[in-house]
Amino acid sequence: MVGLSVGEKHFIQGGIAQDLRSDGRKRLTYRPIYVETGVIPQAHGSARVRLGATDVIASVKAELGKPSALQSDKGKIAIYVDCSPTAAPVFEGRGGEELSTELSIALQRCLLGGKSGAGAGIDPSSLVVVEGKVCWDLYIDGLVISSDGNLLDALAAAIKAALSNTGIPKVDLAAETTGDEQPEVNISDEEFLQFDTSGIPVIVTLTRVGRHYIVDATSEEESQMSSAVSISVNRKGHICGLTKRGGAGLDPSIILDMISVAKHVSEQLTIKLDSEIAAAEASEEES
Amino acid sequence: MAAKPGSVPTTYPPNPGPKTRPPIFKDNDLDWVRPDGRGFHQCRPAFFRTGAVNSASGSAYAEFGNTKVIVSVFGPRESKKAMMYSDTGRLNCNVSYTTFATPVRGQGSDHKEFSSMLHKSLEGAIMLETFPKTTVDVFALVLESGGSDLPVVISCASLALADAGIMMYDLVAAVSVSCLGKNLVIDPILEEESYQDGSLMLTCMPSRYEVTQLTFTGEWSTPDINEAMQLCLDACDKLGKVMRSCLKEAASASQE
Repeated sequence: MVGLSVGEKHFIQGGIAQDLRSDGRKRLTYRPIYVETGVIPQAHGSARVRLGATDVIASVKAELGKPSALQSDKGKIAIYVDCSPTAAPVFEGRGGEELSTELSIALQRCLLGGKSGAGAGIDPSSLVVVEGKVCWDLYIDGLVISSDGNLLDALAAAIKAALSNTGIPKVDLAAETTGDEQPEVNISDEEFLQFDTSGIPVIVTLTRVGRHYIVDATSEEESQMSSAVSISVNRKGHICGLTKRGGAGLDPSIILDMISVAKHVSEQLTIKLDSEIAAAEASEEES
Repeated sequence: MAAKPGSVPTTYPPNPGPKTRPPIFKDNDLDWVRPDGRGFHQCRPAFFRTGAVNSASGSAYAEFGNTKVIVSVFGPRESKKAMMYSDTGRLNCNVSYTTFATPVRGQGSDHKEFSSMLHKSLEGAIMLETFPKTTVDVFALVLESGGSDLPVVISCASLALADAGIMMYDLVAAVSVSCLGKNLVIDPILEEESYQDGSLMLTCMPSRYEVTQLTFTGEWSTPDINEAMQLCLDACDKLGKVMRSCLKEAASASQE
């Protein structure tokens, strides 16, 4: 929790009302975003995203597994978030659990699409090696290293960057198998398959303070929020997920207005993030 | 027990072979009817009853088609010592499934998600400042899962809170909409939920016309969002009236 005096609270609220926030930003401006890819060599893909003092890492690991009986033509994707006690002492022990589940569920909702897989950032059917027998299970883990607000947007950006950094080994069938036998596979260590990450949405969280809403709130600003809505928007401008993060009720017309603002903001964020990811990939190859 | 040869067996084996699941909805299939014969924009009949559990401060039972839910509210009680001082009350929500709630034993959906969603939907409606330093417990139990479980739990919980006499701005009504192909289907049942391309859940306070919680999954275009939200708001308005009449009935019955 952030301890703020009455004066500080008024300063933050007044600044937001006048479209000049305490760090000099406007209401709808993001903090500079820094992306670094390939930070964890053991993972198939990883990225670190810094957004002001917020610092998160996402890693992608792939394992060969069996598709579930109900959806034999789809691989499995799981997203988990861990809040490290290094970020804040309250995350120690079970303290971070509530926030971790909240973030994991919000990310799953925003990035994985509906039950049938429609609107998903990654097509789960692209993970299948042999239908009904072998598929890739993708484990996406997020880690919060330092928290200064807007964790969800940062994690979504990190996951997007980590997935563009991910190379999944090419798999060849060793021999023809018949019937119910589990097929043998050869995992190539030279050829890698890349994901098409252009469809992965970005998440824009709009935090409502007073009568206005702001993007990319710091933890001081978040402590003054009346409610917040996280909206994930893909490149086509379609909404892929939305969660309201508690707080007071909102008028339906305000929510619709927030959605249109989020769409507008997401366009710039997507362009910015794409160029940052490309730059990070380039510098990784150089080194 | 072997049946006599030639006679019709009167019992069935418990497992009628591997189940096939044909797609229940195809594109351009406009004559499609929902499995329970409802129209696309028609909710299941709702049944509410307060005072289901005697030992609780307040409780409610709700039945929407096959979905059956019981919610008890305890408190306000003193918050645990370990918790920091707070001049507003706390809300503690928990949603659990009975082991027999789902077709396969013990396979209820993610309760952690439901508990936090229930908390978020209710906190905007409760006047937490009316019970400082104390905690109100809301325990929901899904007796039978028949689709749209979470909206039913939320509506039922707000009724239980009202029954417990917890101060609220308004009752919270919740409705979900599924997107199947190009069609929007309100109040989906379990079968429809397993085929959905996207879903939207909206909880609102009907008399204040305020949304307390809203979630989307799947890909949505703006016209669809507008249509689905309007559909939910209208349904919430009607559901709110049903809930209100249930409370009035209970109050007039206790006066007699």
